Amino acid sequence: MNPMEKNKWPPGDLVIWIFIMAELLAFGVFFSVYAFTRANHVELFNTYQLTLDRNAALINTLALITSSYFVVRAVSAIRKDNSKRCFHWLLGALFMGVVFLAVKSMEYNHHFSHGVNLNTNTFYMFYLSLTVFHFLHVILGMIILSAVALKARAGGYSAQEHTGVETGASYWHMVDLVWMVLFPLVYVMR
Amino acid sequence: MTEKKTFIRPCTWIYLLLMALTFVTWFIGTQQFSGLQISLMVLGFALLKGQLIGDYFMGLKQVSGFWRWVITIWLLLVGSLIAFAFNIAA
Repeated sequence: MNPMEKNKWPPGDLVIWIFIMAELLAFGVFFSVYAFTRANHVELFNTYQLTLDRNAALINTLALITSSYFVVRAVSAIRKDNSKRCFHWLLGALFMGVVFLAVKSMEYNHHFSHGVNLNTNTFYMFYLSLTVFHFLHVILGMIILSAVALKARAGGYSAQEHTGVETGASYWHMVDLVWMVLFPLVYVMR
Repeated sequence: MTEKKTFIRPCTWIYLLLMALTFVTWFIGTQQFSGLQISLMVLGFALLKGQLIGDYFMGLKQVSGFWRWVITIWLLLVGSLIAFAFNIAA
């Protein structure tokens, strides 16, 4: 195919794109409700936002971007019929996912040890529910990537048929994309 | 054209740009800059990063029709609502 020629459908299974749209809608509503609630509690949100660890958020953002890039490399590898390299790039992506989960868990541990919970105040209610909702999506994305990686290792994909790799990749990029808005909205904008 | 030139090389540049924009956003956060203009600038970076992920990493730049714009529409919609909410809070 001519590389400049456009495709009618996005990469991967179309069902995952319907799922991605539903996920984006849910996160979009969540982000909007956060922003409009903040408009009525600006001082509260600005005060408690300062208690968040921006360095941890930086590490997590870099981890997710790097992970997404590794997935891009995995897709490229399987398009060249290199299952082994595809598997290795996916392992790298999964490792960055583990970094994200570990850093976020440390953040949660810090807050919980200081008695923070969903009832502490409106800001923490949003912070915890938004980030935990995203955290669960990272776990789901990692489960999908793990299944794809195992199949790649077993030689289940080829240059001709690798819809599964593109499907898993599309979902993982969505998880990354959502964090690109969540990070500035919750940790930086004030 | 090869896969490297058409896919990997652009994605590598986009990856570096995403990292750079993340550091700028983090720096603004650590300095505790506040105000509507700063917030909108940071939001703009976020929307740009989202668009780049959609176009290059998700490969939507090579897609035509509705699916080409699905991420753009989401970013514009959510970005507008957030910008509006921060505007009325300012």
